[in-house]
Order: sequence, then structure tokens, then C-alpha cells
Amino acid sequence: MTTRRTDLVGHLRRARRTTRTAVLAAVLAATGLAIPPSAVQPTDVSLVKIRHAQGVATGGDDVVWILAVGSDARPGQEMTRARGDALQMVGINTRTGSATAIGVPRDSWVAIPGHGREKINSALYVAGPRGMAGAMSDLVGIEPDYVVVTRFPFFEDMVDDIGGITVSNPRRFSDPYLKKEGFAKGRVHLDGYNAMAFSRIRKGLAGGDFDRSANQQRTLRGIHARIRSQADEPGFIERGVMTVLAHTDTNASPAELFEIAQAVAQVDPRRITTCVIGGRIGFVGAASVVFPDVAQARRLGREARQDAALRHC
Amino acid sequence: MPRPSSGRTRGARRLAGVVLVALLPLSAGCRSTGDPSAAPERPGGDAQVELASHPVPTRTGIHRVHGRLPVARRKAVRRQVGEVVDRWWEAAYLGGTYPRSSFPSAFPGFTGAAEERARSDKALLTNQTTGRRIESVTPRRRAVTLDILATRGQARAVTAHFVLRFDTTGPRTATTTVRGRLFLTRRSGTWRIFGYDVARGARR
Repeated sequence: MTTRRTDLVGHLRRARRTTRTAVLAAVLAATGLAIPPSAVQPTDVSLVKIRHAQGVATGGDDVVWILAVGSDARPGQEMTRARGDALQMVGINTRTGSATAIGVPRDSWVAIPGHGREKINSALYVAGPRGMAGAMSDLVGIEPDYVVVTRFPFFEDMVDDIGGITVSNPRRFSDPYLKKEGFAKGRVHLDGYNAMAFSRIRKGLAGGDFDRSANQQRTLRGIHARIRSQADEPGFIERGVMTVLAHTDTNASPAELFEIAQAVAQVDPRRITTCVIGGRIGFVGAASVVFPDVAQARRLGREARQDAALRHC
Repeated sequence: MPRPSSGRTRGARRLAGVVLVALLPLSAGCRSTGDPSAAPERPGGDAQVELASHPVPTRTGIHRVHGRLPVARRKAVRRQVGEVVDRWWEAAYLGGTYPRSSFPSAFPGFTGAAEERARSDKALLTNQTTGRRIESVTPRRRAVTLDILATRGQARAVTAHFVLRFDTTGPRTATTTVRGRLFLTRRSGTWRIFGYDVARGARR
């Protein structure tokens, strides 16, 4: 019994000694990182001032405007000749690091240049990306520099390629077809499929098309955050541009996409402002449409055109 | 989009020092990340070009080519971009006579708009703030690693990851490390820097 007790005490002492040694080693290791060893450094060594600067200037003006269009093209259908279901006018200010997204509900009843009045989502089908840019320009008063069209499966691939995104979801919602179990309230990590579902679901949202457009803007914020956090990883931006080239139809050249991507990476998340153009729901014939608040759309356009920043929604 | 900031407290300086110490060996790591299996488009054994305007030459390597680019064009991009980076280093940090406080042409190879941005970051992107107290500058390390974006057999854009380390003598005796990324696209047949993300630290 005495021997066992002595052994136990011995074990405890050894354990304490080992623990103390480990803690001491850890402290020394930690301080060793912070304080240069005197044996190899002169006594007046000090490490001062790590400072950082960044800047990007794309080819033209300080603000670049991109019309991002999510096409509902079915398999085998050309994506630039389908309906544009997700419509976001995105501005990036390369001087200030601000960015904005103005969302337009897809059922907005608007003038499509050369095609009379139609739902804005049909502008892509009847007039292609240029026609969609014209319809958006008429509504918001901003002519986009670039139009980027993608289809939902491609969008899923792109989100997967960057490792998924995290969004802040203000309320729980679901959809019996796209997401039966629903999206929880709060911060949610989304892979490609779920990012698509999060951006597409309309029926489970109280605000319908308007809330869906706001969710698309949450998705854009998530994509931005992902790009920003990984931009300094060698090859990340280049891979991203390659995947955009593979999965979109755009009038931007590879070099221009690269410049835009670097500009996106330098956008300050605190300087992102978003707004969805409001309106009232009504009917044209049997079709349910949104009559957009044109005055608001123009005001937003005027406000953001020069600096890609919205003061009010 | 200038966002300079500086550490103000002793703790911040110490942290900055730790970061600087951590940064230095990473430059070597940067070169070793592209093992052949992870970077199938990595060029062969002649992956470095030496630009010997100083005793310490600039070593330019390719981390990865994204897309297809013939070997001869890779080498051309490596040489051309290496020269662009070198010209900036010469103009901003290494070349000229010291002491001096004026760096009027510090950004050769930058686009006009990028140069305008860079001028507001001269404290980091040149030796302007310390030049008056410097008598000589000796480069210790000059390394550039490229990620190249290529389509249709042509290089379209480059990210140049770089590390520049140099010693200064005079009232301002220090070892300074400048590292970060430069973004380049080809305009009118020449590579131009349109953006930068740069950190700078000094050890005295």
C-alpha cells in the first residue's frame, strides 16, 4: 500500500513537473517568437512599423458598373436567349472601396427598347444582354459597362469553385421543391446548390420578389467576402477568372475580368450598400406584374452613379 | 483606395515585428508551393531569370500558369514582368543617390490611374519618408513569383507576388522588407501595373 502510495505521489510529482516544463516551454516558445534572442541580435534591435497600402485602378472611370443577370435557361437553351430571373446592377468604386447593388424584381413592368412594355425578365429573351442593359438603363438611369449573364447550374459551380459562401439570413424560410428543410435564420454557410436555392426561392418569402432580390444581394455580399478573404492566396483570383470565363457570357475581356476581380477584392465590406427597387403588385391582362417605383429607381441611380454608394434605399 | 495604417503601441510594434519575422521566410515558401504535381503547367528547370543590375539579382519564377501558354511565351512574360517590377524597385527604393527626399518618377510601369493612387501611398511604395536619413541602400533579397492568366495561348493578366529586402546605412540604419502583390495587364503590348497590395516593415 505504502509502495503504491509512494508510486502515486511520484507519478503526480512527475506529472506536475512535466506540466510545468511544458508550460514553461510554451511560454518560452511564445516569447521567443516575440523577442529576438540576444545572442544573435544586437541589443538595440527593434521591429517597427508594418504598414499596408492597396489600390486598384481599372481602365476607365473610378466607378465600374456591371449588370449581373441570372438566366433561367433550361438545359440546351442558350442562356442569353432566356428570361433574366436575377437582376442586379452592381457598382464598384475603385477609388473609395465602396460598392453598391441595386436589385430589380424580375416581374417589373418596364419599357424594353424597341420592344414596347414587357416584364423586365423577358428583355434578355427578346433583346439579348444588350437589350437587358437598355431596359435597366432606362429604369435606373445607369448604363452598365459590362453585362455578365450566367445560368443557375453554372452559378452553383462558381460558388463551389470558391469554396462556398456565408450569408446573413434575416428569417427562416423554405421551399417544397428547392429547399424542403429550409434555411435557418442567422449566419448560414451555403454550397453552390444552396446559394442557388437561397437566391431563387420566392414563394416562402413574405416579400416575394422583393425579398428574393434582397437575398440575391446577401449572396453577392457572401461572394465578395469569400473573394476578399482569399484574394492573397496565390492563384485564387486567376482561378476565379477562369471559372467566370467558363461559366458566363460577358462582354468583358479576360484582362478586364481580372481587373474587376482585383477591384472586388479591395472593396471594403463596411462600404457596401444595397437596395431593392420597390413597387406595387398588379395585373396586366392575366399576368401578375410589379409596377416599379420609377422615381425611386431614378433617385437610386442618380445617387450611386458617381461613387457607387447609396445614402438611402 | 489608399488605406495606410501604422502600429502605435509597443504591443502593436511587437506584434508587427512578429508579423515581419513571420513574413520573411514565407517568401521562400512561396516558391516551393508549386510542386510539379500541383502545377502541371509549371516550367522546367530554367524557371528563373536573373536581372543583374545589383549584386543581388532579381529572381523571377512562375508559380502557376492558369490556362494554356507556350513555354516561349511563359519565358517572355517572366522576363518582361520581372523587368517591370525591377524598374519600380530601382526607381522607388534601390536606385539613385542618397540622401534624398524626392522621388518624382517612382512608378515606371504603372498605369496613369494606378500611379495617381500610388502617389498617395508614397510612404510605403518608395523610400520618400526615410530617404533624407539614408546614405546608402544595399539590396539583400529580390524575389518575384508570378501567377499568369492565359487564354487562347496569350498571357492576359499577371499577379506578381514579391519580396524585396534591403539594408540602409546612415542615420537610418535598418533592414527593410517590402512585400505584397502587384497586378498587371498588358496594354499596348507592354505590361502595366494597375493595382497593388503592399506591406512594408523595417527592423533596426
